[in-house]
This record gives sequence, C-alpha cells and structure tokens, in this order.
Amino acid sequence: MKRTLLAFIKKEFVQALRDPRMKLILFVMPMIQMTVFGLALSSEIKNIKLAAIYSPGDAAAARLARRFTSSGWFVPAASGGAQDPAGLIVSGAADAVLVFPAEGFARAAARDRGGVQLLVDATSVTRARSVEAYARNIFSAHAAAAAGLPAYQPPFGFDVRIIYNPEMESPVFMVPGVMGMIVCLVTIILTSMSLTRERELGTFETIVSAPLENHEILLGKTIPYVVLGLANSALVIAAGFLIFGVPVKGQLWQLFCAALAFVITTVGIGTLISTISRNQQQAMMGGFIFLFPAVLMSGIMYPVENMPALLKPAVYLNPLYYFTSLLRNIMLKGGDHSAFVLNMAALALMAAASGAAAYKRFRQTLN
Amino acid sequence: MNACALEVKGLSIKFGAFTAVDDVSFTVRRGEIFGFLGANGAGKTTTIRMLCGLLVPSSGSASVGGLGFEDGGKGIKRIVGYMSQKFTLYNDLTVGENLDFAAGLRKLAPAFAKKRRKELFELIAFDKPLSTMVAALPGGVKQELSLAVAMLHDPEIVFLDEPTSGVSPASRARFWALIRKITGLGKTVIVTTHYMDEAEQCGRIALMRTGRLIALGSPAELKASAFPGPMAEIDFKGAAPAGFLDGLRAAEGLLELSPHGMRWHAAFTGPAAMQAALRGLPPGADVRAIPPSLEDVFIRLVEGSGR
Repeated sequence: MKRTLLAFIKKEFVQALRDPRMKLILFVMPMIQMTVFGLALSSEIKNIKLAAIYSPGDAAAARLARRFTSSGWFVPAASGGAQDPAGLIVSGAADAVLVFPAEGFARAAARDRGGVQLLVDATSVTRARSVEAYARNIFSAHAAAAAGLPAYQPPFGFDVRIIYNPEMESPVFMVPGVMGMIVCLVTIILTSMSLTRERELGTFETIVSAPLENHEILLGKTIPYVVLGLANSALVIAAGFLIFGVPVKGQLWQLFCAALAFVITTVGIGTLISTISRNQQQAMMGGFIFLFPAVLMSGIMYPVENMPALLKPAVYLNPLYYFTSLLRNIMLKGGDHSAFVLNMAALALMAAASGAAAYKRFRQTLN
Repeated sequence: MNACALEVKGLSIKFGAFTAVDDVSFTVRRGEIFGFLGANGAGKTTTIRMLCGLLVPSSGSASVGGLGFEDGGKGIKRIVGYMSQKFTLYNDLTVGENLDFAAGLRKLAPAFAKKRRKELFELIAFDKPLSTMVAALPGGVKQELSLAVAMLHDPEIVFLDEPTSGVSPASRARFWALIRKITGLGKTVIVTTHYMDEAEQCGRIALMRTGRLIALGSPAELKASAFPGPMAEIDFKGAAPAGFLDGLRAAEGLLELSPHGMRWHAAFTGPAAMQAALRGLPPGADVRAIPPSLEDVFIRLVEGSGR
C-alpha cells in the first residue's frame, strides 16, 4: 500500500512539474487570476465622468462642483461647452450631470429654491447606485457651505464604524473569494483531466492490470492532487498578503483545515467528472459546467442573501460557498469560533460525501 | 506442476444484451506460443482481458496458472503479464521512472525490481540510459520496453495484445525473436495479431469470429483441415475473363476462389476436381499448384463462412 502510494505520488509530481503547461496552470495562472480578479472585481466605482451645468459666474455652483471632483470619485467630463444635460448622457460624454438653478446656486438657495438636479446614466445599475450614494453624501456635506449658508446641525448623530475592513477596500473582501475560486478551478480541472488522460492514452491499463485494490488506485491518483491543491492554496494566500496586503488574522491551522476539507471535496468532484468523461475535452467541459454556477452562487461576487428562494438550496450545497465564508471569517475576522465550527462541519460533511461518491462511481467504471 | 498454463472451458462474457465472447474453450501448454487470429471486434482482446483478470466472465471457467476468478481476478493479475494493444507507458516519464512506477504498482521490493530490470534490459538489448525520455524512443523500442514493463514481476504467462501494430517490419521481426526467447525461458506467451506471417510463427492458433472460436490448431493443421485438396494459383496475365471465372465458380468440387492481387487462388476437394475445373483455361494463363497460406485459411474460415 505504502509503496504503491509513494510510486503514484512520485509519478504524478514528476509529470506535473515536468510539463510546462501544467506548471503554468499550477503557478502562473493563479497569480494572474489573483491580480486581475483582485483589481477588476472591485465593487468600487471610480472615475465617474461628471458634468456640471451652471450660469457663467456662478461661484457657489463652481465651488460645489469642485467638491465633487476633489472627492476622488468624480472626474470632470469633457463637455465641450455643451449645455444640454440629457445630450451629455446620451453621447456618453458624462456618466452624471449636475444641473444648477439658472439664476445662480447661492441666490436660489437664499430664497429656499436651491434645488439641484442630478442626472445619472443607469445603464449599469451598480454604477448608478454608487454614483447616487456618493453624490448624496457630497451634496449634503458641502452644499450649505458652498452656497454661503450656515451649516445645518441636526440634533442627533449617526456614527458609522466599519470593522474588519475599515477602508472598505475591495481586494481585502475579494481576495479570499478569488482564492477559493482558483483552488476550486485548479483542483477540479487537474484531477478530472489527469484521470481521463490515463484512460484516453491507455496508461490506465497498466494500472488496472496490477493486482491493486480499488481504493489504492483512487488514493494514488487523488492524493497528489490534494497535495498540489494545498500547495496552491498556500501560494495564493501568500500572494494575497504580498500583493494586496490581505491579512491572515486567524490561526493557520484553521486555514489548513478549511483548505484540506475543501480540496478533498473538489478532488472528489473532479474524480466524479472523470468517471463520466470519455476524453480530456469532456473532462474540461464538465469542470466548467460545475465551476460557473459554483462561483456565481458562492457569495464571491454577488451576495447569496439576494438569491431567489428557489436557488438557495443550491447555495447550501455549494462547497465554494462554505470555503469562501471560512476564508473571509478566518482571514479578515480572525476565525470567529462558532462561524468556523459551523462552516467547517458543513465542508467536512461535503468532503466525506464527495469522497464516498467518487469511490463508488470510480469502482463501477474501473473496467 | 501442471503441464497446462491455461485451461478455458465455456468462457462467455456479456455486456448488456451483447455477447462479446461466446462459449470459448481451449487449453494452452506451458512454454507454448498461442496465437489469436481474427478481425477487429472478433473478441480477441476481450478474451485476453478476461484471462488477465481485468474482466470477470459472465459464465464458464478458466484456470490461469491454476488460479480462477474467485477473488475477482486479483490472483490472476499477480501471476500474469499483460501488454495492452494501447501504448501503456508514460511518454512524459523517463525509462527509469516508468519502470519505478510499474515496480511500485506491483509492490516489488527495490532489490528485486533492480535485478529484473537488469535481466530484462539484457533480454531486449536495451542500452540507452535510464534517464532517456520514453517519448524520444523509436516505436519498436517502445514496444520492447512495454514488454519489459509487463514482465517486470517475472510472470509465468505473458499476454500480448497486438504487440506489433504500427511498428516497422524490421521491428516486428525483432519482437518475434524476443517472443521466441521468452518461451525459451519456459514462459507461456498468448498473443493476438492481424498479421498472417506472425500467426505462422505461433505453435497453435485460435481463429475467432464474432465472439466464437471457430478453429484451433497449428498452422499446418489449420491449412490441412481447411483445404484437404490441392490449391492452384492462376495468373491470367491481365484481366480475368469473366466467362471462365463464372464457370469456375460453378465447378464441381471448388472449395474457394479468391483474388490475391493480380492472381487468383482456387482450392478444390481433390486433384480430379481441379483437373476438370481448369480444363477450359484460356491460353496464356499460368497455373501452378501452391500450398495454402494462413491467409487462405483465414479467408475461407473467417470471411467465407459469413457470406
């Protein structure tokens, strides 16, 4: 048993590390994905093109418009002197247009008629929502001062404190999710392809013609990918820390347990996919058919709370959902005990189920 | 020790409603080269896979080196060597790594594996370094190395499934010299082939068609039983006259008439029948008596009986 497993592990590692494409998939692709996803999947909206339309010489309006651009969210739109607000949005020259009263902002405000209109391009809903929220905040904070009126002081305060990610930086939130995604991708695709490649090329005949127990073959073919998956997790966590400064506040053993349970689950799924695939292309397809819904329903990009009740059960059957929750919990919150135990138990259960199913299917398709 | 390496009785296997191997019985003596001849899909590979312990038969029994299927074929796997018709070495591993993996699969002790490696390298006259990538080896050498890997655990019985498909004629000859060397060491070799010249080199041949064993014997026995009378090779020196051929086909005592390139082979029940049938031969045509080849046997038994 030991000799056979060692032979398998040695062989798989030699093969994986000798193939330049494999090295690319294992080490370079995760780094690129991590960087691209970490930066591009940012939910922060910046560089909003803002046009401000006001009468020439309206100093108060100009002051307020400057407040918008100095906030960092907005940049002045190249309006070309056009005065048609809707036209600016239609032509795409501006994402948002501030329209000040024609008589002058300060004068209108003094007569209690200081209404300012904001036109927002909502072809992208998430972007429009952010624009609205930013504009509201800037306006309420600076409108009075810009118009030369005394600032309104409400008799109560609303003090918001953001914890775990005080600057609300997207990478800190996104990277654990992206990490789960990368580990999922690498383990499922590599495991299913490695098994179907043996069948496709015929090398599987060498393996099955040896007097081996089924579990010896299954463990021999999967343990190397569990190890590679764990190594990949460590690599991605290190990269998250070095590139994006994503902290690991919790214990490393918690991370290890979470990664181990998750990798066992995905390697099991990869094995299942290989038992229904005739060749490597099919295995790759099968991998992606699993991956897309898994990623979309994991809470990495879209909050699962918003999903229709019909899809909720699928979320709770998604190992990536638990792994992402665990990673965020451990890395950002420091591994809150009850959340860790709950998600860990769910993931361990999935690992056991996936392993058992893989063993059962694998045995049936051995010959 | 039992003189029979293999005793097969009524072996059948069904995949769903399809009977791939149907009631096959034969025995193989120790040290024999036993060949399976048949078209694709005749059931040669499936028969071999059962006898290697890879498939469990639906019915019938087999004793392979004294072992049966009671344990699902595991015992059989331990004592036989199997070389699949697919290329089963890893192209992306070196020669040494392939051998190490095979040794690990069979849990061979390192010292034993090393000793066997040396013996087998001598047998196949392999002199390249262990660090040679398998992908870089010529086709014939790859097949010889596959054979070495299949024999690493020193099996008594070696199954070779189309071991020479896709290699050059020179390499085929080398491989068959190797097969004879192996049986010289007292091993039993069961081999499938498409090539008639290879079948001629077997001690006995089993002819298979659609899952059934339709003839069994040495090449000479098969020829004698398929063609009890004489055989003529006719060369018309050009297009065969249709009228004569039609007459020949209808002739009394004709067993078989088949084209072989530009020539025709005609087999008869006896010399008198041959003389009578060839009386109206067009002038200029050459006739000579030839011994039947295995190809003739194959055409008569495997293809002919299906028509």
